[in-house]
Amino acid sequence: MDRDDPQIVISRVVDAPRDLVYRAFTDPDHLAAWWGPIGNSLPREEMDFDIRPGGHQRWTELFPTQPGLRVDVHIDLTDVADGELIDGVAHVTGQLPEGIEPHETRMRVEFHDEADGRTRLEIRQWLPERLVGPADQGWNEAFSKLDAALTNAHPIAVDVEV
Amino acid sequence: MSGSDQLSAVFSALADPTRRAILAELADRDATVTELTAPLPISMPAVSRHLKALERAGLISRTRSGKLRMSRIEAAPLREAAEWIERYRRFWDTSLTRLDAHLAAVQAAGRPTDRTAHGPALPDSESPGKSHDKEN
Repeated sequence: MDRDDPQIVISRVVDAPRDLVYRAFTDPDHLAAWWGPIGNSLPREEMDFDIRPGGHQRWTELFPTQPGLRVDVHIDLTDVADGELIDGVAHVTGQLPEGIEPHETRMRVEFHDEADGRTRLEIRQWLPERLVGPADQGWNEAFSKLDAALTNAHPIAVDVEV
Repeated sequence: MSGSDQLSAVFSALADPTRRAILAELADRDATVTELTAPLPISMPAVSRHLKALERAGLISRTRSGKLRMSRIEAAPLREAAEWIERYRRFWDTSLTRLDAHLAAVQAAGRPTDRTAHGPALPDSESPGKSHDKEN
C-alpha cells in the first residue's frame, strides 16, 4: 500500500520542542491525553508500546457514550528514528463505529525543528488499497486532485499539501 | 455506492489514463469538451467517447449551460473512498488540536520542557504506576 503517494498529507507546526512532541506520539501517557476522536478513552493498561523499527504501538479506544464500540489499533512500526520519525502500518479492528470496516493504513509522522523552539509535523497517511482502486500513479493523481477539490469545498484548520 | 457492479464500472472507467486525466481536470472545474481536449494529444471525438464512458460509470454528469455542454465530476461513486479521506482528515484535525492543548498544558505546568530527551515531563512509559497528573 506504500508504493504510491499518500492520500493524506498534513503539515502542522506545534508550539513545543521537538523531543516533547515526539514523546507525545511515542509515550503512552502522552498519547492517551490527546489521541482523538473527542470523547474516546485509551485505557492505560491496554496500551503496549515498543518504539523501535520492528516494534509496535498497541492500544484500544473506548467510547463512553457508545459502550458497544471497541477500536483496537495495532501499529507495526517499520521505521523509527528517535525524535525524528515514526512510520508504520496500523491495523484497525474490533467493534468499530458504523461505516468503518477493519482496515490497514500506513501512517508516517516526521518531526522537524522550527524556529523559536517549535516543531513542524509532517503527517502522511496511505488509505486501504481497496479504497483507492487499481493502485497506479494516474489514479492517485486524479484522486489527489479530487481530494483537493473536496478540501477546498470544506475548509479545515490544517494545512494540506496536495 | 450501490454495489460491486457500480464499483467495477467505476474502476473500469478509471483504468484508462486519458479518462483519469479528464477526471483530474474536472476535479478542478467544470469544463467543455473543447477545454478538455486542449491539453490532450487526442481528437475531440475521442475525448467525447471518453466522456461517455465516464458518464456511464456515473463519474461525471453533463449539463447544458447556454450553448455550452459542460462536464462535471460526480463524486458520489467515489463516496466511500472520499469518506475515508474525510474521516481521517477530521480525525487528524481534531487530534492535532487536542495535541496543541496537551502540549500547552504540559509546558504551562512548569515542568521541564526537556529538550534533551531525558527526564520526561510525564511519568515514564515504563512506570505506569506513577500518578497521571499531566492534565493539571
